[in-house]
Amino acid sequence: MAYKWGMAVDLDRCTGCEACVIACGAENNIPTVGPTEAARGRAMPWIRVERYWEGEFPDVRLKFRPVLCQQCDNAPCEPVCPTYASHHTEDGLNAQVYNRCIGTRYCANACPYTVRFFNFFNPTWDKPLHLQLNPDVSVREVGVAEKCTFCVQRINAAKTEARADGTNIKDGDLQTACAQSCPARAIVFGDLNDPDSEVSRLSRSPRGSLLLEEVGTKPKVTYLSRQSQA
Amino acid sequence: MDRRIFLKVTAVTGAGTTLASCDAPVHQLVRFIPEETHVPGVAEWKPGVCPICQAGCGVLVRVMEGDAEVVRNGHAGVVAMGLAKKLEGNPEHPINRGALCARGQAAVQLTYHPDRLTRPRKRVGARGSGQFKDVSWEDAIAELLSKLEALIAAERRSALAFLGTPGASARADLVDEFLTRFGARPAARFELFDNDVLRRANELSFGRYQLPTFDLDQARLVLSLGADFLGTWNSPVSQGAAYGQMRQGRVGIRGRLIQVEPRMSQTGANADEWLPARPGTEGILALGLARVVMSENLRPAAGAGRAGALVDGWPAGLLDYTPEQVEKRTGVAAARVERLARQLANERPSVVIIGGAPLAHTNGLASALAVNALNALLGSVGEPGGVSFMPQVGRTNPPASRPALQMLLADLLSSERSPIDVLLLDGGVNPVFGSPQAWRTREALLKVPFIVSFAPFLDETSALADLVLPDHGFLEGWDERRPESGARVAVRTVAAPALRPLFDTRATADVLMEVGRRLGRPLELPWQTFEEMLASTFETVPETPEGDGWTVAKRHGGWWGAPATSAPVVRPRASTGEPPTPTPQRVGDPQFIGDQAAFPYHFLPYASQAFLDGSVAHLPWLQELPDVISTAMWSTWVELNPKTAARLEIRQGDLVEVTSPHGALRAPALVSPGLAPDVVAMPVGQGHEQFTRYASGRGANPVNILAPTAEPVTGALAWAATRVKIARISDPDGSLIMMAGSLHEHPEGGRD
Repeated sequence: MAYKWGMAVDLDRCTGCEACVIACGAENNIPTVGPTEAARGRAMPWIRVERYWEGEFPDVRLKFRPVLCQQCDNAPCEPVCPTYASHHTEDGLNAQVYNRCIGTRYCANACPYTVRFFNFFNPTWDKPLHLQLNPDVSVREVGVAEKCTFCVQRINAAKTEARADGTNIKDGDLQTACAQSCPARAIVFGDLNDPDSEVSRLSRSPRGSLLLEEVGTKPKVTYLSRQSQA
Repeated sequence: MDRRIFLKVTAVTGAGTTLASCDAPVHQLVRFIPEETHVPGVAEWKPGVCPICQAGCGVLVRVMEGDAEVVRNGHAGVVAMGLAKKLEGNPEHPINRGALCARGQAAVQLTYHPDRLTRPRKRVGARGSGQFKDVSWEDAIAELLSKLEALIAAERRSALAFLGTPGASARADLVDEFLTRFGARPAARFELFDNDVLRRANELSFGRYQLPTFDLDQARLVLSLGADFLGTWNSPVSQGAAYGQMRQGRVGIRGRLIQVEPRMSQTGANADEWLPARPGTEGILALGLARVVMSENLRPAAGAGRAGALVDGWPAGLLDYTPEQVEKRTGVAAARVERLARQLANERPSVVIIGGAPLAHTNGLASALAVNALNALLGSVGEPGGVSFMPQVGRTNPPASRPALQMLLADLLSSERSPIDVLLLDGGVNPVFGSPQAWRTREALLKVPFIVSFAPFLDETSALADLVLPDHGFLEGWDERRPESGARVAVRTVAAPALRPLFDTRATADVLMEVGRRLGRPLELPWQTFEEMLASTFETVPETPEGDGWTVAKRHGGWWGAPATSAPVVRPRASTGEPPTPTPQRVGDPQFIGDQAAFPYHFLPYASQAFLDGSVAHLPWLQELPDVISTAMWSTWVELNPKTAARLEIRQGDLVEVTSPHGALRAPALVSPGLAPDVVAMPVGQGHEQFTRYASGRGANPVNILAPTAEPVTGALAWAATRVKIARISDPDGSLIMMAGSLHEHPEGGRD
């Protein structure tokens, strides 16, 4: 049976520590762009922790929400791509084929979540920082769009391993980098086609909601609301 | 040129080109024979120890083969070797349980940092100028030996000093052993955000000179007084994991968090209720809560016995802590004090945490003692869902009578001739950056005739060295830590080298052993290598079916005791009849440096999410990590309440000047709703003058302008006790870089 990869983010567990942000960058060869380019909005965090202030001192509240590609079933980024660089995989991922991408940036403009990033220049690593680069993940060159892949390199490795064993990937055997590092276990990744997987269970929670559900993108990331009670 | 012609041309010219390239050595790729074998593309996972803070988390490092540019016997070339690709938490480790924080994730950049010191160096320019020349290890060690022999010859053995960072480890034990056998001064240890006040309070209250462990996953109500326990304080990964369980890990029970602090921290942002109390009055609030619990007879039956010694006779002693009086002193409404006390007594298990700024006031020790007593009163000491102390392996370092760095500095500044001839500086200790300018740390260290640094990077302190003997990078040497908090069982995190050293560096522990051996009269340390020392400390660990203690520890990344069935019991110490000083029944008002009229704002420096005390500001991943509260990257800032900013006509990004009685600094303003109007806050970590290409010359260091005032009993720096004034200097200078500014963020009402 095909997999359908999904994620649940429990905002009642999330502490805003941003371990996910660095874990993602380390796993996926995301370059740092430096202060000048960062000031122009050219940093490329595939996952970020958004924060929202509410109220005024002293009745002030602050809420965190990790935002990454929502891997939409009805993804606005896909039909706008003239070269099919942005496409839907069998597992339901919104994939990006870097060497098909011609850099129109239509996908990034179409995405309501601002989670697609454009490489305005070739990435650089001051030697020997490049020794850390993950050989399982392509380094993206100037002129292409990139985004969260749900750590597709880990998915593919797990699939290969499971196939060799003649089994399917078991729930919990495969984690994205962000989920693996999360101290509070706020991020859970897994197969939505398996009704018994933890991510399926959490996605059915009455606390669950989808980000910008009303725009009809059918995201595969479910957010479980914070249960604050004063 | 089409393909056919191209092939023809290459066929003709190819041979010539190959020969020609032999003449130009710059085009030659020297490939050394690998010293180890790896299967290309296959990852190996090896245990490691996270070096970033004292929490002592266990990591697993993903090692894969790759080509590294190295120098071997003076020749540059390339060698295939195991390289660190990714760090993950060690899932077996009882403290971090498979997770890591952002700083731990970034630790791999310590090893592959472009500005790492790659070989021993000797100073050639003026001190602090950063001008060094390369020397061989043989010459470097010979020079250190000659300096030590000179001390011995002059009968000035006590003129050898060592300055390092705190934390229990075999390495610290080795340093102590080395210094004792040599006859040197005891090692001085320094860290800006060290928790000595809390350790001392716990020693007085419970007989444990140690940081507490909180059983958050079983608690129903947590009251945190200023402790950023989910972000930067104590053992954040362990506490974050337990917090997740506390919130959503139990069926039908959701633990609640109430945070009291004048500036909303990352932890405060997660709280169900956030109460700003006046700075330094947290202990007064704790006593107010204790009074309500007792006067309303809310004291749980379970709390009476064990807590007795700490709280007996209190109702008489807490006359001055009525809710009304507490309101007057803390700013927390009387009705709220009463309700909070009832919540703590009724929603049990409940636990009170104090940490960070509340302990960095002149009344810090009294505040900590008050919270210890309140926990005892609530029956939360040594109970599930309460506070306990992690069992420890080996000895815990006994507290010095006075903080050792201040003692060292005072000795240096007060005498004409330096009482210290040779100072050994460990890696990671940076008091020139991390202490107030009023301490005159740099001036004092410059009086020392000869400084040897083991630091892997040049920072403000190691740049003063005459000789730099760089330690191995993280993961390249043996490592061991003994965490003091964060688990229910005793833990030793230990790891063999996961990587071969990339550069011509040496493990400091082994350098010390070599020096000890080669002295005219050898020190006769009981071990030849650090590995041997570590192995010997595992001899007492019982053998299991898996093997002897040492083998098992190396395989799993450490040793931990069997899970205790319940939290370890702690007995209050007061039963000895000796009343602890100061008594927990009184918390005085905090004293501030700076006249209120001239310096109208409290100055609150805080450990930054990315850099803690600034010791990891050189890692580019952390520089580009948006601070989760402000979303600022590569920046520092001065936080102001919106009303304060409006009154002073300061807008976001404007350059402002913050002036204390002990100095001034300039930084961009950040208008933040989560801050009391009479407080000015600033993250610590930026403002390095010299700390690699990524951190040097970036922002301002708030520690510089702190008053040198101390908590009187422990002598610890009261880093939250300075008052400041603030003035607008100019329009934005562009140094405040925000992520949210470019992400078109809009609040989404009612979404969660």
